[in-house]
Amino acid sequence: MAFDLRPGEIHALCGENGAGKSTLIKLLSGIHPAGTYEGELRVDGKGARFASVADAEAAGIAVIYQELALVPEMTVAENLFLGAEPTFGGLIDWSRVYRDSRVLLERFGLRLDPYARTASLGMGHRQLIEILKALRKESSILILDEPTAALSETETATLLDILRDLRRRGIACVYISHRLDEVFAVADRITVLRDGSSVATLETAHTDKGAALSGERSTACASKDGALMGAVIRHMVGREIKDLFPRRAPAPGPVLLSVRGLAVRGPQGDTALDDISFDVHAGEVVGLGGLMGSGRSELLMHLFGAWGTRLRGGVELGGTPLSGSPGDALRRGLALVTEDRKRYGLVLEQSVGFNLSLSSIAGLTRRGLIDGPREHRASQEIFESLRVKAPGLEARVGSLSGGNQQKVVLGKALLTGPKVIFLDEPTRGIDVGAKLEVYELINRLSEAGKAVVLVSSELPELMGMSDRILMFHEGSVGGSFTRAEATQERLMAAAMGHAAAAG
Amino acid sequence: MDKKVVLRDFSLLIALLLIGGFFSIMSPQFLGARNLAMLMIELSITATLALGMILVILPGHIDLSVGSGVGLVGGIASVLVFQQHWPSPLAMALAAAFGILLWLLMGWVIVRERMPAFIITLGGLLIFKGAFWLVIRNATVPVAPGGTSNLYSLLTTYYLPSWGGALLGLAVFAGLAAAKLRTVARRKEYGFPVEEPELLFLKLFLTGQGILLFVVVMNQFRGIPLTAMVLGLVLLVVTVLTEHTPFGRYLYAIGGNEEAAVISGIPVNRVIIGAYGILGAIVAVTGFMQTAYSGASTTTVGDLMELDAIAACVIGGVSLKGGRGTTLGVIFGALIMAALLNGMTLLAVSPEYKLIARGAVLALAVWMDVRLSRD
Repeated sequence: MAFDLRPGEIHALCGENGAGKSTLIKLLSGIHPAGTYEGELRVDGKGARFASVADAEAAGIAVIYQELALVPEMTVAENLFLGAEPTFGGLIDWSRVYRDSRVLLERFGLRLDPYARTASLGMGHRQLIEILKALRKESSILILDEPTAALSETETATLLDILRDLRRRGIACVYISHRLDEVFAVADRITVLRDGSSVATLETAHTDKGAALSGERSTACASKDGALMGAVIRHMVGREIKDLFPRRAPAPGPVLLSVRGLAVRGPQGDTALDDISFDVHAGEVVGLGGLMGSGRSELLMHLFGAWGTRLRGGVELGGTPLSGSPGDALRRGLALVTEDRKRYGLVLEQSVGFNLSLSSIAGLTRRGLIDGPREHRASQEIFESLRVKAPGLEARVGSLSGGNQQKVVLGKALLTGPKVIFLDEPTRGIDVGAKLEVYELINRLSEAGKAVVLVSSELPELMGMSDRILMFHEGSVGGSFTRAEATQERLMAAAMGHAAAAG
Repeated sequence: MDKKVVLRDFSLLIALLLIGGFFSIMSPQFLGARNLAMLMIELSITATLALGMILVILPGHIDLSVGSGVGLVGGIASVLVFQQHWPSPLAMALAAAFGILLWLLMGWVIVRERMPAFIITLGGLLIFKGAFWLVIRNATVPVAPGGTSNLYSLLTTYYLPSWGGALLGLAVFAGLAAAKLRTVARRKEYGFPVEEPELLFLKLFLTGQGILLFVVVMNQFRGIPLTAMVLGLVLLVVTVLTEHTPFGRYLYAIGGNEEAAVISGIPVNRVIIGAYGILGAIVAVTGFMQTAYSGASTTTVGDLMELDAIAACVIGGVSLKGGRGTTLGVIFGALIMAALLNGMTLLAVSPEYKLIARGAVLALAVWMDVRLSRD
C-alpha cells in the first residue's frame, strides 16, 4: 500500500467495499494507533506516529465520517464549537461563539443562521457544518468518507464547490466516494485500492494547470474522462465490465400490483402522497425516480404497511385488496428492501443467519419450535446464491462490508418467497462489483416472473435497469416513461414538475 | 469479542467461588446440607423471577412492578385459601390468572400508548403494593402448614424422596447430554466449528458430576425441594422459548433493532404484550413460592425483589439495552444474588448492611455490563 497527498490537491480513493479504504482512514486518523500496522506514515516529510485520534488532529488531520457527529438539538454555532467552547472567566463566552461562527460561515459563502437549530437543516447543510467544524481546528488535511451518500444533487454541487475552494487555499483532501462521476468532477488524482493494496494512481484532467487553477472542468476533458472511468472501474474490480447495466427484459406477464388513485396522509398530518396510479406486471421492473423527499420511499413504505394513513384509493396485490401490517404484506408475497439498511434492515449485533431468516422464521417451524436443519438449509442456500462474502452464517452481520450487508437484507426479503419486490436504493453506498451483482439479481428475479419496483436516485441506473420509469414530484407522479422514451433531460424535467416536458 | 465472553463467564465463576469461599470460612454452616437446601429454595425463587424478567429485558423493556406483584398475587391466594377456605389449586389458578391479566394489561398500555415501561411499571409497583395491603387488610395471613393436602404450603415444604431425586438427576443428565450431542452433530453437518471431542467429553462429565453432587447434597437433608423442580421447569420453558421459537428470535430482534424488526414483518406489539403476559404467570408462581417460604403473607413480602431479578439478569450478562443475554447466564446471576443474601443472613448481618451490599452488587453488575458491552 502506497499513497501520497500533495498540498492543495483533492485525491480520491476508490475501491470496492472491503478494499481497505476504511482501514487506511483509521490509520491516518489515529483510530488504529501506531504499532498496530507495519510501514511508515509521514506528515510534512516527517515520520508520524499517531497514538490516538488527538495526535492525528494535532498534526492537522481531520476526518469527516459518513455518520455525522452533530447534536441535532443544538444550534449551528453550538455544534461548530462543540468541545472547544471559548470561555471567559470559566463560563462559555456565547457572544464569541456566535460571532466566530458567523465569520466562519461567511468565509465559505454559506448563508446560514448560526442560531438555527441543526435539526431544522437539510442533510447537505449538516454535512457542510461538519466540514466547517473540522476546518475550524485549522486542519491542513481533510479526509471525507462518502460525504455525499445522503445528499441531493444540488447539495452535492455545493459541497464540491467548497472542496474546490479549499483546494485553492492549499488544503489537501482525501475524498472517498462510490459515485465515480463526482470523483471525476472534483479529484486531481485517483488512487484505486483493491484487496488492501493500492493498485494504481491515475491523474485526471484537472491536473492540467489551467483546469486546476480555475477549478472548473473543461468540456474537452470529457471524452478523456470516459476512458479514464473505464480504467478506474477495471482497476477496482480487476476485470473488464462490458455493460454496466445488463438489463434483460422478459415479456411482461399479468398485473401483480395495482395502485389506483392513492392518497396518503403522513405522520405529520399532511397529505404526503396524492393521486398515484400505476400497475406492475410480472417480469417487469418499474423504476421510481425523483428528488429526495418526493415521496418514492414513503410510497413503498406505505404499500408495505409501515407508513402513513390511507385517505383514498385502492391497492391490489394479485387481484385482492392490500392493506395492513408489514407482516400481512410479507405473507401476501410482497417484500421490501429498505434504503437505510442499518436502521431498517439489520440487527447488527446478531449473526448473518439470524438476520437472513428473521422474516421467514415463523414458516420454518415444526410443532411451534424452530426447525434447525430446515432453517439452516434455507439460509445456507440463499447465502451461497447471493455470494455473501462472510466467514459463514455465524459471522456477526455488523462486521460485514456495506455491499455484503446489503446482500443479507436482500436475502432476508427473498427468503420470504415474494412475488413483488420493492428495492429502495439497493445499490447506495456499495461498490461497483456488488452493484453488478444486484443488477444481475434483478434480472434473475424478473426472469422468474417476479415484479420489481426499483427506487433509485441515480438516473443512469434507473434508465439502465427499468422497463418503465415513474418520476415523482412532490408526492405525485410527475411523468411516466417507457425505457425507449426516457432521457436524462425528460426525467429531470418531470422530477422538477415540468409536466409539459414529461410527454 | 470471544475473549470478552470467556472473561465474563470466568468472572462469574470466580465471583461465585469468592462469595462461597468467604461465607464458608466465616460460617461453617454455609456449606451444611440444611443451609444448602435453604439456599436452593431461595435460589429457585430469585432465579424464577429473573427468568421472567429476561423476557421483557431482551426486547429492551423493564419491569419494576414484579416485587409488588409477587406480594399481591401471593396475598390473594393466601386470603382465598386460609381465610375463605378455597381449595388451594383453584385459588392459585385464579390468582395466577389475575396476575397474567394485570401484566397483559401493562404490556398493552406500554405498546399501545407508547409509554416507557419504566414509568408504567413504576406505577404498577405502587398500585400493586397498595392493592396488596388492601387484600390482606394490612394484617398477616399465615400460610399454615397443611400436611399433605395443601399444595400452597407444600410448595416450599415438600422434598422429593432420595430415590426420586436420583431418578430425576439421571433423567435430567440424559436429556442434557442428548440435546448437547444432537447440537454437536448438527453443527458438524453444517460445517460450523465444534469443540474437540475431549473437551465435549469433559463438559458432559463435569455436568454429570455437578448433577450427582447436587442430588447427593440435597438427599443429605430431605431431598430435592419442590421449588427446585419448579425452577427447572421454568428454566426449560424459558430456554426453549428464547432459543427455539420464532417468539424468542423476535425478542432478540426487537431489542437489537426495533425498526428493523417492524420492517421484517415481526408483530412487535403482540410479541411484547406476550412477553409481559408470560412474565405475569412467572410473577404468580414466584409469588406463591415466596409467600409460602415466608410462612405468611405480610406487608413486606416481595419487597425489592424486582431489583434482585434485574441484578440477576445484568450479572448474568443480559444487556439492559436489549438484544443480548441467555437463560444460563441469568441462573448464574441469580445464584450470586441468592448466595450473597443467604450468607449475610447466616452471619446475622443487620438489614441496613444487607441493603447496602445488595445495592453495591447491583451497581457493580451494571458497571460490568457497561464495561464489557463496549466494543
